[in-house]
Parts: sequence; C-alpha cells; structure tokens
Amino acid sequence: MIIGGKLFAAGTFLYFGIGIVYWFMSGDVIGTSLLALTGGLAFLVAFYALFTSKRVGALPEDNEYALISDADTDYGFFSPHSWWPFAIGAATFVFILGFVFARWMMVLGLFALMMAIYGLVFEYYRGEFVK
Amino acid sequence: MAILDKPVVTVTQTPLRPPVKKGNKVVGWMTSTDHKVIGNLYMVTSFAFFAVAGLMALVIRAELARPGLQFVSNEQYNQLFTMHGTLMLFLFATSLFAGFANAIMPLQIGSPDVAFPRLNMVSYWLYLFGGIVVMLGFLTPGGAAGFGWFAYAPLSNVINSPNVGSDLWILGLTMSGMASILGAVNFITTIFTMRAPGMTMFRMPIFTWNILLTSVLVLMAFPVLAAAMLMLEADRKFGATVFDAANGGAILWQHLFWFFGHPEVYILALPFFGIATEILPVFSRKPIFGYKGLVFATISIAGLSVAVWAHHMYVTGAVNLPFFSFMTMLIAVPTGVKFFNWIGTMWGGSVSFETPMLWTIGFLTTFLFGGLTGIILAAPPLDFHVSDSYFVVAHFHYVVFGTVVFAMFAGFYFWWPKFTGKMLDERLGKLHFWLVFFGFHITFLVQHWLGVEGMPRRYADYLGSDGFTTLNMISTVGSIVLGASTFVFFWNIYKTNKYAPMVNCDDPWGWGASLEWATSCPPPRHNFVEIPRIRSERPAFDLHHPEVAAMEQADRDRAFENAANGSKG
Repeated sequence: MIIGGKLFAAGTFLYFGIGIVYWFMSGDVIGTSLLALTGGLAFLVAFYALFTSKRVGALPEDNEYALISDADTDYGFFSPHSWWPFAIGAATFVFILGFVFARWMMVLGLFALMMAIYGLVFEYYRGEFVK
Repeated sequence: MAILDKPVVTVTQTPLRPPVKKGNKVVGWMTSTDHKVIGNLYMVTSFAFFAVAGLMALVIRAELARPGLQFVSNEQYNQLFTMHGTLMLFLFATSLFAGFANAIMPLQIGSPDVAFPRLNMVSYWLYLFGGIVVMLGFLTPGGAAGFGWFAYAPLSNVINSPNVGSDLWILGLTMSGMASILGAVNFITTIFTMRAPGMTMFRMPIFTWNILLTSVLVLMAFPVLAAAMLMLEADRKFGATVFDAANGGAILWQHLFWFFGHPEVYILALPFFGIATEILPVFSRKPIFGYKGLVFATISIAGLSVAVWAHHMYVTGAVNLPFFSFMTMLIAVPTGVKFFNWIGTMWGGSVSFETPMLWTIGFLTTFLFGGLTGIILAAPPLDFHVSDSYFVVAHFHYVVFGTVVFAMFAGFYFWWPKFTGKMLDERLGKLHFWLVFFGFHITFLVQHWLGVEGMPRRYADYLGSDGFTTLNMISTVGSIVLGASTFVFFWNIYKTNKYAPMVNCDDPWGWGASLEWATSCPPPRHNFVEIPRIRSERPAFDLHHPEVAAMEQADRDRAFENAANGSKG
C-alpha cells in the first residue's frame, strides 16, 4: 500500500507541476482547472493510502521473504453469490429510460434503485445474519 | 467380438455432482460474484459488441467501395460511424480491459477474488444495461446518435440533434462510464491490499502493473466524461447553456471530452501492452528484459497521458501548440522504451511461434506503424494538412486495432485454458491470425494515402473524379477478409469446445511465469488450492523449473560472495 500511496503522491506533484507550467504557457482556464482537480484527486488517494499504510504497519505482501502462511488467517468474507447487483443494474436501466421517455417510469426506477442499493449494502446485516 | 477391438473410451472425470440444469447455469451467471465468471461475462459481452460494431464497419466499407450512395442514406451513415466508434471504444475495448483484468489479475497476485466481489458484478450490470441503452437508439424513430463518437458541442445540442437516440447515447455512456469507475476502484483496491505474502509491488507481473495504472487513468478520466455528459444532457433536457457556442461552449466541450479522450486511448492500450508483455517471455524462454524499466515506462505513460489531450484540437486554433506538441512527442519516449524491452526480451531467446506469440508479433508490427504516424500527427504543421482525413482514420485504427484486437486474440489464445480448461486449436489459430493480419493491413494501409490525397473522414460519398475509387475498393476488399476471419475464430471456439481434451496440467505452455500458471485450468472457486512461495517476479516458473531457480540463486550467492571477498581484499 505504501508504494501505491507514493505512486499517487508522485501523481499529485506531477499534475500540479504540469498544471502550473500549462497555466503560464497557455493561460487556458479550462485545462488548468482540469489538471488542478486531477492533482487534487491524486492527493486524496495518496493521503488515504499513505495514512492507512502507516496505521496498519508492515504487511506480509510487502516483505520479500514472507511465507504464504504469513497471511492473515481471517482473510475476510466473500459473498458467494448475490441478486442485488442485477437489481441495481436493472433499476438504473428503468430509471434512465424513465428519464428519457416518461416521468412516472423515472420515479419507479429511482425507488427501485434506492431499494436495490439498500438491499446490496445491508445484504449481510439482515435476517439470518443479525447477531 | 468386434466391439472389443474398438478403443475403449474411459471417462476420466466422473461428475461428482448431478449435472447442472441450464436454468441454474444462467442464474449462476446472473448472480455470480466470482471474478472469473464476471471476467468471462465481460469478455463475451464485449466481444458481442465488437462483432456488432464490426458489422457496422462492413456496411460503412461497402458504402464507400464505389462513388455514389448505394446502401445507406447520409443520416444512416452518420449513425453507423458514430455507433461504430462508440461501440468499439466504450463498449468493446474499455470493457474488454475489465474482462481481462477480472479474469487474470487476481490470479496473478495470488488473491482469492477481487476486493469487492458484489461491486464487481454491479459494474458488469451497469455496463451491460448501459450498452443496451446506447443500442436502443436504433429502435427509436429518429435513429441512434449521429454526431460522431466525440459529440462535438453545437452539433450534439437539442436543435441540431433532436432525436431521442442522442439522449440514450449520452445516458447509456454515463452508465457504462460509472461501471468503468467502479471497476477501477475495485482493481486498485485489490492490487493495493490483496497480494499474496511475498508478492511485493516490484514482483507483480507487468500485466497487473498495467491494470493498476489503467485503473488510475480510469479514475482520472471517466469522472470528467461523466460530468461533461451530464452537463450536455442538462443542456438538452433542461435548457442549461453550458455548451452554448455563444459563450465558448464548443471549445469547453472539446477540452472536457479530450481530457477524458486521450487518457482513454491509454486506457485501451495499457492493458493490452500488458498482455503482450506476459506472452513474449513465455515463448522466448527468457525473463522479461528490463522489468523495472518497463514498469517505470508504463508509469510515465500514465502520468504524461493526462497532459496531451489538446493534440486532438490543433486545428481549432485555440490551444497552445508548443506545449501539446512537446508533451505528445515526449510520451513517445516511454513507448519507445517499451518497444526496446519487448525486442530485448525476444533477443537471443529461444523463440517459438505458437499462436499467442504470432498475435503478439502482429501487435508489435501493427502498433509500431500506428506509433510512427502518431509522431507525424503530433507535429502541428503536418497535422494541419491531414487532420480529419483518412490519414487520421488509418492512424488510430493502427493504434487501437493493433493493440486491442491483436493483443486481445493473443490473450484469448494464451489464457483460453485458464478461462475454459481447453486449448484453442493451433492450426485454426494461425489461419485466423494471417486472415486478420492481411485483412487489416489491406484495409487500413491504403487509407494513409487516401488521407494524404485529401479524402475527409465521415463523408458518406465521394466523386468518381476525386480519384479515391481504387484505394477505397482495395480497402473494402480487405475489410471483407477481416470480417470473414471472425468465422474462423468462432469455428475454433466451437471445435475446441466440442472436441479438444481438457488440459490436465497447470501450465500447458510449459514456461509460464506468473501465478496464474501455478493453479489448475480452469482455477477452482477461490483460485488456489495452494500458492507457491514467491521469491521472484516468476513464482510459477520457479515452481515448475526449480533447477533454473536454483541456478539463478547460485549465481546470486556467488555474486554476493565475490562482492564480500572483494570488499575484504
């Protein structure tokens, strides 16, 4: 994660640097704002990644001599299968078509989309998963 | 007992579970959170879009074969080239990146899945439904969008393009753009946090590096596109005047679009560079030449690619030519470094020409041509002459077809055993390659000259007295060969699926380097039954050829001892 963070940090400097050079060469407001915003985006990711990597400490994947058994045994939870992604896609489809063709369909699609997002986010916090 | 003389067919793999019903299979695909299944879905869907867009291209070529309008009207022609470009770039190439990334990247870093499996599937559905929304334009009375794939501003407003197909185009692409952003977040998180122990960043296969940098570019570029698209839709639907030509909206759109559009070209190219880089060492029997050089070349391409966008806008007269010309020339340097490394990998190796290698060399040749014409177009005086002519059409087809299609087939032939557990037929593969290679070059090489002679792009028709007829005829014949080659590929898939034996070893090519060759073909649900110890960039090679690994280790030890003795003496 630390190298990834540094990668984005390098991007931050690069984009701000290019942005400054570009501003003085062209005086173009649009391109300069775009470069500055891109630099800002890179900064966000760089800050988060570097901050997190400092907090979690050394990881086995960054150690050249790590053994496979060094991995955290509690690797995490992987959803075996889920209907909600399809629900989100289909609801967005209805929403977009509604936006173009008919308002009532848009409202329906928006409601379905909200329910689908709720369903995806809370899929493993409801019903049998409640502790 | 004649019946005993027949060879006894033994079923080697007895099904452990009762056969799965067809309906269950479809539901399994629809609800899957397995990155390999999602990768396959992505690849199948994007190949379908590729085929549809290819058919559109064939209609375009048929129309252009002779002077006069034979098959389509001007309006239909506009829709065809717009949708051809849109489908190829957004719905084929961009999502094919997601397909390969999903199918291979988690295997290469020794991870059980991607970081957010359900989000991965959300991306797929947004992509598919977004693609359907774009295609629905053809069913509307006004037809599909017809303003060119870059939708320049006054043309794409509601007065000049009143058809509802344009709205569907804008919103469908916003949807599939969202899919790309979510996919990129997923890939970056996976690579940052889910590598196997010992898989340091500088041991990752180049393909995985390229997926990482492509995803970074997606994060930089696609939000700009989404913003521009939604503002355009606001202009059309709610009467906003963001892209009103009266207050500079035309140039604003071009800046926003190309700020997305140029990184997009690298989003298309980088993953396929990665595929080529994976294949070359395997069939050269050598490690990659200059691993770190390649990684840094890719990083610099990704970094520089956001600073070259306005070279698509030279002829507007509203951009700073020295800056963009310099940056565009500069970005050719790391690309040259990559070529140097690819050739260095083959140099002195024991090269063999299996189908994946053939496709990769086809990629090198074709892409080199595209790169060279790219340098020509980077020089404003030359660009002024050929801008918006068939020279540009030839240039970007060499670049994009060269990377995406050649490297895609290279990847298909190379990783088919990992996708399906069977090897594609080599003989048909070679026939397929030569048909595509000649078909492609016959179609597009002559278009350079058409452009230099002054044939503009996006015109449905030309005059017999223009003198474009012969070259257009050659181009059309080439496109038919190119189109026909796809049948060979489909036949190959069918034949392989029906008759080829299952691969029963981890590494059918024999010299595979990265971790996907250290698991079965196809891999089990969470990818690995066991992961070998990772001590170099080539963990699977070290596992299957321990004698080479031991030799290399002995070399390192000797070098270390010599250094130690040297410092003492």
